[in-house]
Amino acid sequence: MDFILEGLIQAFGLLISGHDETYSAIRATVSASTLSIVACLILGAPLGFLLGHSGFPGKKAIRTIVDTLLSFPTVVIGLLVYAFLTHRGPLGGLGLLFTLPGIAIGQTILGLPIVVAMTATAVENLDRRLKHTLLTLGAGSKQVLLTTLWEARFSLLLAAVAAYGRIVSEVGISMMIGGNIKWHTRTITTAIALETAKGEFSMGIALGIVLMAIAFMVNLSLIGLRKRADQ
Amino acid sequence: MTSHREEKLQYRLEGIRQDYGKHPVLAVDFLGIEQKSIMGVTGHNGSGKSTLLRILAFLESPAQGRVFFEGRLSTTHEERIRRKVTLLTQEPYLLKRTVRANVAYGLRVRGERNNSDRIQEAMDMVGLKPQRFASRSWHELSGGEAQRVALAARLILKPDVLLLDEPTASLDLESAERIRKASLAARKEWGTTLVIVSHHTDWLESVCDKIIVLEKGRVRSPLPSA
Repeated sequence: MDFILEGLIQAFGLLISGHDETYSAIRATVSASTLSIVACLILGAPLGFLLGHSGFPGKKAIRTIVDTLLSFPTVVIGLLVYAFLTHRGPLGGLGLLFTLPGIAIGQTILGLPIVVAMTATAVENLDRRLKHTLLTLGAGSKQVLLTTLWEARFSLLLAAVAAYGRIVSEVGISMMIGGNIKWHTRTITTAIALETAKGEFSMGIALGIVLMAIAFMVNLSLIGLRKRADQ
Repeated sequence: MTSHREEKLQYRLEGIRQDYGKHPVLAVDFLGIEQKSIMGVTGHNGSGKSTLLRILAFLESPAQGRVFFEGRLSTTHEERIRRKVTLLTQEPYLLKRTVRANVAYGLRVRGERNNSDRIQEAMDMVGLKPQRFASRSWHELSGGEAQRVALAARLILKPDVLLLDEPTASLDLESAERIRKASLAARKEWGTTLVIVSHHTDWLESVCDKIIVLEKGRVRSPLPSA
């Protein structure tokens, strides 16, 4: 038990002293996850709106595929993206393997189905009276679209927060695409895995505390947003 | 040649048929509604009253028939016409915003942003003090207050036509009275044509120029004015 307590004390020391290696992993995590969540929202929100708002042939099939992708294993995504980004792969020339943007591509694939599925559900669940209300108050089609998205804003934020929670805590993609390169692509989760394997608990615990803090904030936001979305 | 009487018609409905699936819900051969008049519509549940109002509000196109508005054949696609008409339902939807933003929405989509005086005027008409209610959120309102906000959001538009679908059905006495007075004030102030769907025949008889009874989608008896 002593080594855990010792590790915890040292972990706080690392965080307070601004230990370079620890903060490098935090910076890498924040950079990759920010890139990927922005991409998820830019691509996922319009797709989800289309899926929830419109009727078109094949909609059910697309919805089933999106729902299936919600449980896509991170190592499989890592394998697929690796195959595309490796120098023998079709996108090998872009030089994205073992880079943070490369990790972000994999994480975008991980988060995208969450944003699409939750946005579609949010739009489907909007009150049916909304459209008639907007029309009878004189809104045109563009104003109906924009106001509808604004009415679903808390549910859209909920989708973003849920996707971010999954992205920031994954390890498979970061390990396979990023390669866990020190000072470069080593993220919080890959660093924890490595330091624990080396028996260096203090840095693992320090990074674990940061990850837990992020997860806690994400969950707090989820609770608040759910309340607003249900009102 | 159009007769003088026809020129004064706000609406002329000809051969209107509406079906939901295999069920016919409305079959009106002819219906004229005069400008600046108050027409009452009554009838049992499922008699087609709400469908008629949605067609008059240009929210729904009839399966058959023609709707003339101010003498012109009109459809749901004409935003200019739709903006002259507004509908208030029994359980209106309020946007997830403040009371002020809800009341001002219709003006905002028309590009009118400087509208404090009109917000105040509309809220006064429905008996909501702007100082007390304007900043409240949509979820901080009672049923009666929400209905009054929804009516203010329509009155601020000074509509040519105000369609009311059971506007006082689930309200307390005070709110119901406010809604009734404010609706009638719209006709007095701006000459708004009113079409009121209600089961309260006493009220309809006391305010309407004409009352029609719908039965299984058909106009059974245009009652004489009270």
